[in-house]
Order: sequence, then C-alpha cells, then structure tokens
Amino acid sequence: MKRFLKDFLFMLRKDRQGQIGFAIVLLVLLLGVAAPAIVPYDPVRTNPADHRMAPCLAHFFGTDEAGMDIFSRCIYAIRIDVFIGFSGTMLSLLAGIVLGLLAGYYEGVFGEVVMRIADLFQAFPAFILAMALVAVLGNNMQNIIFVIAFVNAPIYLRFVRGEVLALKSRPFVEASHAAGMSDTTIMFRQLLPNSLRPALVQASVNIGAAILLTAGLSFIGAGVSVPTPEWGSMISTGAPLILTGQWWCAFFPGVSIAFTVLGFAFVGDFLRLYLNPERR
Amino acid sequence: MRLFKYLVKRLLVFIPLFFGVTFVTFMLIRLLPGSPAQALLGTMATEESIRALEAEMGLDRPLLEQFVIYVKNVLHGDLGYSWFTSSNVTDDLATRFPATFELIFLSILFALAVGVTLAVLSARRPKGIAARIASVYGMLAGAFADFWLALMLIFIFFTTLGWAVSPMGRLDLIMSAPRRISGMYVLDSLLTGNMMTLKSSAAHLLLPVATLGFVNGATILKMTSSTMQEILDSDFIHHSHMLGLSEFKIMGYALKNALPAVVMTVGNMFSFLLGGAVLIEKVFAWGGLGQYVTTALANKDYSAVQGFVLVSTLFAMVVYLIIDLIQMAIDPRIKF
Repeated sequence: MKRFLKDFLFMLRKDRQGQIGFAIVLLVLLLGVAAPAIVPYDPVRTNPADHRMAPCLAHFFGTDEAGMDIFSRCIYAIRIDVFIGFSGTMLSLLAGIVLGLLAGYYEGVFGEVVMRIADLFQAFPAFILAMALVAVLGNNMQNIIFVIAFVNAPIYLRFVRGEVLALKSRPFVEASHAAGMSDTTIMFRQLLPNSLRPALVQASVNIGAAILLTAGLSFIGAGVSVPTPEWGSMISTGAPLILTGQWWCAFFPGVSIAFTVLGFAFVGDFLRLYLNPERR
Repeated sequence: MRLFKYLVKRLLVFIPLFFGVTFVTFMLIRLLPGSPAQALLGTMATEESIRALEAEMGLDRPLLEQFVIYVKNVLHGDLGYSWFTSSNVTDDLATRFPATFELIFLSILFALAVGVTLAVLSARRPKGIAARIASVYGMLAGAFADFWLALMLIFIFFTTLGWAVSPMGRLDLIMSAPRRISGMYVLDSLLTGNMMTLKSSAAHLLLPVATLGFVNGATILKMTSSTMQEILDSDFIHHSHMLGLSEFKIMGYALKNALPAVVMTVGNMFSFLLGGAVLIEKVFAWGGLGQYVTTALANKDYSAVQGFVLVSTLFAMVVYLIIDLIQMAIDPRIKF
C-alpha cells in the first residue's frame, strides 16, 4: 500500500494537469461537504424583493427570478450533481464489471443473451432512453442515479468482457483450472483484477459525462426539479432571462458544471497514464 | 454481387434488433404513469368518458394483441396517429426529421472542419501555436454543457451585440417556408432559388450550428490527434521521411490512415445527435425530432414516441451501414 502511494505521488509530481485535476475535484468535494458552513444564504429561500439582482458584494453570483441567492445554490448543487454523477457512474461500473465477467466467462448461451440485450439498449438514442426511463420511474435523485447506471452499464460490460475473453486462454487461468479452483474463485480472484483497467479508466472519464447528463435531464425538466438547487434546472430557469439581459442566472451554474467536469476529465487523463502497464 | 450479399446479411441482422427495439419501446411507454385518455381529456373528465376513449384508442385490449396490431400496421407503412398533434405520425416525423437532420449535418460538417484542421496543424508542429490552441480547445469544449454554451452565445450575439437573429425557430416569424422538396430549408431555398428564405434560414442556423459544432469538434479533434500521433510514429512514416518525401505528402498519408477512426466517430455522432440535439432544439425552439419526442413523452402520445424510436433506429442502422461501406472503400484490409 505504501509503495502504491509512493508510486502514485511520484507520477503525480510530474503531471501538472493531473495536479490541477485533483485540486479541482478535492476543492469541489470540500465545498459540497462544507456547503452549510460556507453559503451566506439558504439555497431554497425565496426573496422576491431582491429578485434578478446583478452580482454584487451581498450576492456574489447575483439572485434569480425568485430572489434566491445563486452562489449558495451553485455550492449546494454540488451535493446533487456530483453525487448523482459519481454514484451513477460507480453503480454502472459495478453492474458492468459483474455482467462483463459473467458474460465473458460463460461465453455460451448466457453470454450471448447478455450481449444481445446490451445491443438492444444501446440501439436506443441514449438521451431519449434516459428521459423515458426517468418519466417511467419518476424524477427523484435515486431514480436518476439508477437511470444513469442503466444507460452506461453496457459500456463497461463490453470493456470487461473483452478483457476476460482475451485472458481466458492464458496459462495462468488454465493453471488455476488445473489447480482445481472453482469458477467463482477464478472469476473474482484471477480474472477480475486483470481485466479492470480499461473499464476503470473509462469510468473516471465518464463521471464528467454523467454530470452533464444529469444537468441536461434537469434542463429539459426530466430530472431534479426546482427549487432543489441543481445546475441544470438553474440554467433552465435562467434561460428566458438571457433575452432580457440577466446573464448571471444561467452563467454561473454553467461555469460550475464546466469547472467540475474539467477537474474530473484531468483526473481521468492522469489515471489513464498512471494505470497504463507500458509505463512501468 | 459480393456487395449485394453483404447488404442482405446486414439487413437480416437488423430485423431481430428492430423487433426488439419496437417491443421494448412498446412496453416501456405503457409503463408511464397515468393513462393517455386521462391526459387528453384533462382532470375534469369522468371515469366513464375516460373508459370510453380508451376503448376507442384500443387501449382496453390485451397488451400482446395491441402489439401485434401495431406491428402489422408498421409493416404496412402506417406508424399510427398522434393523439396530440392529431395527424399521422408519419407526416409529423416527415416534417421534423429534415429540421433536425439539417441542423446536425451542418454541425458535424463544422465540427469536422475545426477538429481535423486543428489535429493536422498540431500534428505538424507539436509545440506550435495551433497545437496549444488545440489542447486548450480540446479540454474546454468537452467540459461545456452544450445548452449552456448556446445560451451564452445568444446573450453575446443576440441580446448584447444584436448581430444574430432572434433565437426562435428556423425562419423569421413573418416568413413562410420555401416550397417543400427535401424539408431542409437551406437546401430547398437553394433549389427553388428563394433568396429570402435562404438568408433567413442560414441566419437561424448560425448559432445552433456553432454551438453543436464547437462542442462536438473537440471529440473529433481528440480522436484524430491521437490516431495521427500513433501513425506519425510508425515505421512507414519514418521510411517516407528517409526517402525525402515532402511534409505535405506525408501528412496526407497520415491523414488517410487516420480516416477510418474519424469516420467511425462521425457516425456515432450522427446517431447520437438525432435525439441528443434535443437540448439545443429546446433552446432555439427548433421544432425538430428531439422536441417532438420530448412533448410526446410528456403527453403519453404512444404512437409518436414509438414512431420516433423506429425512425431513429432505422437512421442509426443506415448510418452504420454507410460507415462500414466507407471503411471498406478507404481501408483495403477490410473485406466484406
């Protein structure tokens, strides 16, 4: 473990972009956790007297149509958007890994059925499928996480299955069979650790895409709804105000998205290099 | 003849997928909470009138029977009737598909121009100014939400500077559409020589195309760059250098070898954007396919949603088929 950490920090020291990425992600997570202590206003308290105020000292990011403080809402939204994006990705990764292992190991009828089902759902336009699923399940946070996991799981499933298929005939797996190990042991102790890399790299990149999907769903009204502080729905309420000149209502939530997604993208790029076996 | 055989084989593979997609959509949409009859009649409707309308819509029959009837109708070219636009789904889709297709086609063209140009320039001089622009652009564009970027462009170019036209629809409000040939306004205006609608429709396309092109260009840039780098480091390129071939010629070789990856990316983009451009369509009140299906979902307009899914799957299939044919044409290693 200590060696692993040392190696990790050694790599990170040479990678400026990776440093920035981790700094952004840590900062965002910190702000999200410490939100109640940081924000100057209650994120869902309306104050019609102060509505549509431009950014000023009292309201760093201004106020929206209902007079809610945009800065406070942007910070609180971390707890929604990043949480949904992160857990949705982790859940899809988990589902993809388990199904990919099984579909790769039991190549016959079972694997074939799993792959055809994955084909079927990937044939749908992804965003519309997500919208329809949210409409069927109802739009609360838990369901959005589930939908993101469902839409993305086939990606990881394919990565893991591909690795497993390539590894299956390698001598160390045959040796495991010869040594009398059970299927479960071979799958989870031998194949799993060796087939994770591409899926992990993809997942670290996909967290950003999941955050964008969450915001997009809310923007179109199929996600988290007002007044819950969420970046996409904040942009949606700010959209009509763009025409009347109150740019800040939509601007700051969008910048928050870009900042966060950029951080996760940098971390993903770093992990891609770090986990590359050719580097050693 | 080999080509014909190949096409038939592809179509055969598609049939089960087509049925699967239709079936899943059919069942999924019937899981939507609430009845479409209720949605049509409003909250004041009596229980009996809802039942009566449901019977008229055929919703009181067993699910499997409904499905068989639907499939039969589709095979006869009848996609059903939209309860909310009160017209044929086929007609609805025929007016909305060209709107979306025009938008995404031009966007992808723009994305290709930006992405490939920047990739080639930065591959030529990895430390030059183009390479630096490319790396910043590649990082930023992927992090922006497209609907947010669209709003910012509207604020700058419409609200503040007043250069762009009002972000509402595909033409100026007072204008009527050019005579319909393809349904794509720019193309139809060109074909009928209608300068007024040509100018207006091009002006309305400007901001949405810029948004989608900018965001998606980064994907093309990254794909092309990484493939080009790999190729420029390969033996045959080193060999060409040793032979003293011009840089221009070598870049041409490298680009040709990067083409399959680019074509693949573009194909994915087409099939994704057909539904995925819905957010941009909403911002610009475009009236395309994405908006159509969003409204249909909200209204539980069964035939409309099913029709959209059918058309988009069909479109994706055609796109992937074209891609594979292009791949075969440019890469001699790929056989039927």
